[in-house]
Amino acid sequence: MSSPFQPTSPSNRVRIVVATSVMLTFISYWRAAAIVLNDLASSAFYACGIAEQAVGKSAPWFIVGVMLFSFAVRAVYVESCSMFVRGGVYKVVKEALGGTLAKFSVSALMFDYILTGPISGVSAGQYIVGLINETFITADTHGWIPRAVHNIFNGTPHLNVNLTSVVFALAVTIYYWRENTKGIQESSEKALRVMQITTVMVVILLAWSALTLFKSGYHPVPLPTPQNLHFSRESLGFLRHSFPEQSLAKMFGLLGILIAFGHSVLAMSGEESLAQVNRELAHPKLRNLKRAAIVIAIYSFVFTGLSALLSVMLIPDAVRVPVYKDNLISGLAMYMWGPEVLRLIFRGFVVVVGFLILSGAVNTAIIGSNGVLNRVSEDGVLADWFRFPHRKYGTSHRIINLVVLLQIVTILASRGDVYVLGEAYAFGVIWSFTFNNLAMLVLRFKYKGVRGWKVPPNIAIAGIEIPIGLISVFLVLLSTALVNLATKSVATVAGVSFSAVFFVIFTVSERVNRKKHALAKEQMKDHFQLLQSDTVDRDSLGIRPGNVLVPVRDYNTLNHLRWVLEHSETREQDVVVMTARISQFGSAAYGLSTEQIFSDYEQTLFTRAVSVAESFGKKISLLVVPARDTWSAVAQTAHNLESSTVVAGLSSKMTTAEQAFTLGSAWEAIPEPKQQFVLQIVQPDSIVDTFRIGPHTPTMKNEDVVLLHRLWLNVTREPGLENIHHHDILTEALTRFARDYGAHDHEHIVKELRRHGPEAGPLPVRRIADQIPTVQPASARSDRDDGHPDDERPDDGSSSPSAGSE
Amino acid sequence: MGLIVITVLVRILEGMFVVGTIGSVVVLVLSGIEDFKMLFGREEEDHS
Repeated sequence: MSSPFQPTSPSNRVRIVVATSVMLTFISYWRAAAIVLNDLASSAFYACGIAEQAVGKSAPWFIVGVMLFSFAVRAVYVESCSMFVRGGVYKVVKEALGGTLAKFSVSALMFDYILTGPISGVSAGQYIVGLINETFITADTHGWIPRAVHNIFNGTPHLNVNLTSVVFALAVTIYYWRENTKGIQESSEKALRVMQITTVMVVILLAWSALTLFKSGYHPVPLPTPQNLHFSRESLGFLRHSFPEQSLAKMFGLLGILIAFGHSVLAMSGEESLAQVNRELAHPKLRNLKRAAIVIAIYSFVFTGLSALLSVMLIPDAVRVPVYKDNLISGLAMYMWGPEVLRLIFRGFVVVVGFLILSGAVNTAIIGSNGVLNRVSEDGVLADWFRFPHRKYGTSHRIINLVVLLQIVTILASRGDVYVLGEAYAFGVIWSFTFNNLAMLVLRFKYKGVRGWKVPPNIAIAGIEIPIGLISVFLVLLSTALVNLATKSVATVAGVSFSAVFFVIFTVSERVNRKKHALAKEQMKDHFQLLQSDTVDRDSLGIRPGNVLVPVRDYNTLNHLRWVLEHSETREQDVVVMTARISQFGSAAYGLSTEQIFSDYEQTLFTRAVSVAESFGKKISLLVVPARDTWSAVAQTAHNLESSTVVAGLSSKMTTAEQAFTLGSAWEAIPEPKQQFVLQIVQPDSIVDTFRIGPHTPTMKNEDVVLLHRLWLNVTREPGLENIHHHDILTEALTRFARDYGAHDHEHIVKELRRHGPEAGPLPVRRIADQIPTVQPASARSDRDDGHPDDERPDDGSSSPSAGSE
Repeated sequence: MGLIVITVLVRILEGMFVVGTIGSVVVLVLSGIEDFKMLFGREEEDHS
């Protein structure tokens, strides 16, 4: 390491510290479970309807079977997470099976994510349109529909279910496209709220169903035997030509069970999210991961499994598939015991919950796809072009555009048919599970290191450990995936085509990138020296405490860096220029190498930053940190580096007060002990707003404020000083104080302070203030934050828990 | 001949599924016992 005050290497290359650990805010296992369940529990709204259309009335037993099997699949994910904290299919498969199969597995995962959005959006539309149509029917029965409306619709008003669902799904997708482009954060708080509301619905659903079973009886659910399987023509896929109608199930009894299981497997979609939230789990990580897994397993089993059984037990055969196949839980609400109005109200509640959870899944799909593609792009298998940040919002908008475009095409192609979407969706689900499990199996023999936990049972034969549990789960997944290839023709054609196209894109991109990166690496070596550091600290940067931290993102807006360099002396106070490489949900799940984080964009950005510093003849330190969100990264970096000041540019989407509030909130999340710092936001016209992040010290007495205000009123009457701020006067006063204290007036100041010290009582501020004539401010001078003494709000905490305007 | 090949392949798939299902039930039971112990605070060691 070079000297602490010399951020350049001996070869004059600029040293850049690249932190490789993503800066995260850790969450409890409840919140982690809520995030996963937002994805996993959404399938309860459509899985059983799809399965029953494919295999007949005994479908709920297969859904229950899949939910039980998902306990075992989750165990595999727990083992993989205990090995790779930054796990996920791509990382695990790449480690075990190499880049080619990793590309295949990630293509299947992308297919899963791309399909999650359309199926959730269309399903939410089905629930909403179903409720609207039912309301029309009820209103018409009571004669509440005017004759004119009746005439328009030639009978009871009725919306085209599939068409309206398509419109709804498109609207939700476009809404979240816009939000993701702007860079909304994945909120565990929001996920927890949604799951709390969902839990209320589940409790009412189960309790009311129990009462209905007691009062009205039930229809038995046929046992899952080959005799009770009734495959539709579509559910036999490519086999329907060779084995028409029911002959297949009769010829191969057990194969029929396997086919039915394959048609129900989408009920456990969303497990991958567990690997992605693992990174953010609070300590003790493994224990919390297991707790989250238990919560997820029990919840999804109770909700998805029991609601599937209850729907067949309570909804009559005559209407269950014909009317409620795509909104089965709504149907369940309508066939509860009790008055119709209560049932309609509950159905409305079901639709609200369905809308929340399913539209949330649309968002999760975009975030997840964006995260995975960002990850493979960082790994060099997708061109850097895709990662180029949005000029205004800094998000990877090109990837988001691609994902949303694919989702819109899927929604339009499906024409609102949930069954077709569900069939295709299962392809991505089963193959990403299979690849992950195969990789874990290979790693048992390839990687002999310590694991946090292993899927039981494992037996040792001749010194070789045989992972019985992993092999068992893999056999079920592989046999189901292979059978699905034959029986899900739409999924096979769409999934294989999609995966092949993505595989080709990845392979071609990788080759192009390899040449480009080799050249870029050489160029970069000439200018920068990359130093990898697992964490961000002062030692790795060689800087002193009390430094200035300058977050930068867009190389066209470095005005605030110029302002810092203009107003600071870098020999006395170090200036650290940092950029946060945003790792989206999913992407943050993986470990990143230095070259992955420091891309072309960061190179251009830092080249510009260094040019600015050179134009002032001053030195700066450079830092790249991967993070889930910029503000958390800034707060944590300022904390780690013991920065006294953070100087930021004006955000394109927030006011200065909002920026301060957001940074204050991020600061609040940092564990104690922590120190406060000052945030200065430099606007394009070089006006600087200053905020204090953290508890506000020192406390200013009212007399101090009055004195300051009177001084300000007088000073602003001077020509050319109309725009002076209160803090400018404080700065001037303190500067004078420091000069006097450090030079000729030292003895006198010390004497005065002793005379008016804590023992002697406060300084006579009131008397001094009285000596200054009062000047009423001109009405035109109610400018900005300095027009009123109240604006100073000494020690009031401002609008933020920890950010106060100065 | 074709039917024989298909039958063999189907039987292999069925065998994989049955063996896998039995093993998965064992996984379910053993990990369930561990989970039960952990939930009631009897797990002595934290491996993380």
